[in-house]
Amino acid sequence: MNPTAIQSKYLADGYLCAFYLALGLLLLLIGCSTVFAQDASSPTTSPFSAHATHLLGFEGARGNAGGTLSIEGDVLHFQKPGKPVVGIKIASVRDVVLGEQSKQVGGLPMTLGTAAVPYGGGRVVSLFAHKKYDTVTLEYGDANGGFHGAIFQMNKGQGSTLRDQLAARGVHVTPNEVEPAKQSTAEVASESK
Amino acid sequence: MRASKHILILGLAVLIVAGAAALPAQLIAQTGTEKSSSESPGSNAARWIVQVDKVDPGDVDLTSSFQIAIYENLLDELSKTKRFKHVFRDGDRGASEVPDLLILKTAVRTYTAGSETRRAVTTVSGATKLTVRSQLCTRDGQVVLERTVNGNVRFFGSNLRATHNLARNVAKAIQQAQLQQPGVPAPVQSGQL
Repeated sequence: MNPTAIQSKYLADGYLCAFYLALGLLLLLIGCSTVFAQDASSPTTSPFSAHATHLLGFEGARGNAGGTLSIEGDVLHFQKPGKPVVGIKIASVRDVVLGEQSKQVGGLPMTLGTAAVPYGGGRVVSLFAHKKYDTVTLEYGDANGGFHGAIFQMNKGQGSTLRDQLAARGVHVTPNEVEPAKQSTAEVASESK
Repeated sequence: MRASKHILILGLAVLIVAGAAALPAQLIAQTGTEKSSSESPGSNAARWIVQVDKVDPGDVDLTSSFQIAIYENLLDELSKTKRFKHVFRDGDRGASEVPDLLILKTAVRTYTAGSETRRAVTTVSGATKLTVRSQLCTRDGQVVLERTVNGNVRFFGSNLRATHNLARNVAKAIQQAQLQQPGVPAPVQSGQL
């Protein structure tokens, strides 16, 4: 057995191994770049898509339903998972108003849970279990000219993105609404007399 | 002697069973007549068609989402009452050709902005209160019905729930009112709910 021949054989095997490793890495890199390219190209077909809760008013959608609100072409779509897509033409939207709302997280189960905590502990939980949301109010018309209004609740920041997207498509935007301060109820008393 | 005793017991049992069977039928008949008598006051209202106008905020600083929520909830609740042949939206061109049309005008009188967090933490404060004046008018401006209605959220629920409660109260007020048949001049009915 010639020791030099054995050494050169191991060396050749090592180069081959490194070659295959490099080829594998290259293929992996190409695969990853294709996937990322697809992800990057998707926003061009749908410039806006976000999770939203439909509170009321959007034709064909149930109230208090969570789903995806998206803009595709000249249509504003809302889709609840497992349900058909409903939508309106952006051209039919007459006004958009952005508002803000603070709501307790966890819904009714959380409310009942905090009410059940003894020694008023639920109140402390309630104090910290609130989250601020954006509310987007859309005013739009149907084919007969009937006036519609729809309200969506979105995560903070997403409402302004939707408003900007709609404004870029020529929809009239009303400045943000601010919750008014507490008003006097003196008028109520005079009304009831 | 013993046989006649048996016959007597059997006769009594038959009488009890017959009485028990007859009583529920009598009760059903009673509730049926009560129902029909309670339905009769406004049954002629089904001849009318109603159009819901946009909410007039007046001098009250009411957010756009609240105005829209009142309007949409009114449409929902009025449809549920089945007191009208059809419920039109504001601006619907189909309403212009309808002869027996009533227009529901809603003007906000007072609004007290509440807070869901304050309600959850303190229970006694943070209520959202709304008072509106609802008028049912004919096309020529004659007021058929006028009511001042409240809608509040005191304990559980979001602020917008006040609009749902308000719309339900308006629909209830309209359902309980006696509306004259179309074409007959009617005295104005006013009140508070």
